[in-house]
Amino acid sequence: MRGVRTGALAAALLAALSGCGSVQEREDAAADTVLRFQENLRGPDTTRGCAQLAPGTRDELEQTAELPCPRALSDAGLPTAVDVRAVDVYGRQARVVTTRDTLFLSSFPGGWKITAAGCTERPEMPYQCLVKGG
Amino acid sequence: MKPIWRFLRGNGLTLAFGTGFVLALAGQAIAGHAEFNNHLIAEQLHPVSFGGYLLTSDFAVDVTENWQSEYLQFFLYIFGTVWLLQKGSPESKELDKAGLETDEEQKLGRYAKHDSPRWASAGGVRQAWYSRSLGILMCTLFVLSWLAQSVTGVAAYNEEHLRELQAPISWLQYLGAADFWNRTLQNWQSELLAVGSMAIFSVYLRQRGSPESKPVGSAHSSTGVEGG
Repeated sequence: MRGVRTGALAAALLAALSGCGSVQEREDAAADTVLRFQENLRGPDTTRGCAQLAPGTRDELEQTAELPCPRALSDAGLPTAVDVRAVDVYGRQARVVTTRDTLFLSSFPGGWKITAAGCTERPEMPYQCLVKGG
Repeated sequence: MKPIWRFLRGNGLTLAFGTGFVLALAGQAIAGHAEFNNHLIAEQLHPVSFGGYLLTSDFAVDVTENWQSEYLQFFLYIFGTVWLLQKGSPESKELDKAGLETDEEQKLGRYAKHDSPRWASAGGVRQAWYSRSLGILMCTLFVLSWLAQSVTGVAAYNEEHLRELQAPISWLQYLGAADFWNRTLQNWQSELLAVGSMAIFSVYLRQRGSPESKPVGSAHSSTGVEGG
């Protein structure tokens, strides 16, 4: 019994160390977050979309637009899509590529939050994003 | 003398360095955790717990990049000192002994003593393997820890890149990346400097009582003489 417990503990530790144990689950969760975010953007009230933004991103959006978040998010002109094409998760950060957009996410206690959206790739430089943190 | 004291006295070198290693690793973890969270907090991201940090690729790559260079250092030193000599250094063999030496000098085969390891007189593959086992182990540990550095390094690199809104790269791309070679070479240069300077300093300087030094009164020109 002790051997089984030790084996299970070693397997869990190895999985955690290698980051392999829950990568699929985390990728799925990141993709779900983006799909819900895009669904929230399509509706008339983007309050729920604002709740999905990381605190720094929300602050920056409100300060730049000088508007409350729901208004600023509606005005940001973010593209919406229904299909996820690729998900990359490394540690506590993720990138989700949809058919029309690329979004960056970070892990928070309640799950994934969006740190940047409406992003366009630039060679040798960071993505250019319509919404991002400061 | 009590058995525990006898044990401590007989294993002091391993125990002292083993304890020092654990304490230094703990200190590295504490400092690394604080630095990692400083970056996250500055970007208004959520900080990680100490336990969570120990499982990050950031901590793992910082540990393994040093491990690989240490094992490379010892592998090169063990292997290099078979052939390379340094006149006057206690780290070198005598100048006429470069190479694998004779079976008699190495107490191999029929020259093995009654207390020699069994595989020293076994002959064949076992003897050949055992004759190189220390170098093989060090080389294996170097390769494994360098591989671990590359795997954890690409994960840490990509995590940082995603935080900075940049695209992640593959493991193969990372093997050609500046980050991988900067981490690798900054450790290699320091290890090679330490070994090279030890070999030459020990020609002229002494540490009384240390087996890594020549006896204090030994001539600068005497080679392969260790004190202790």
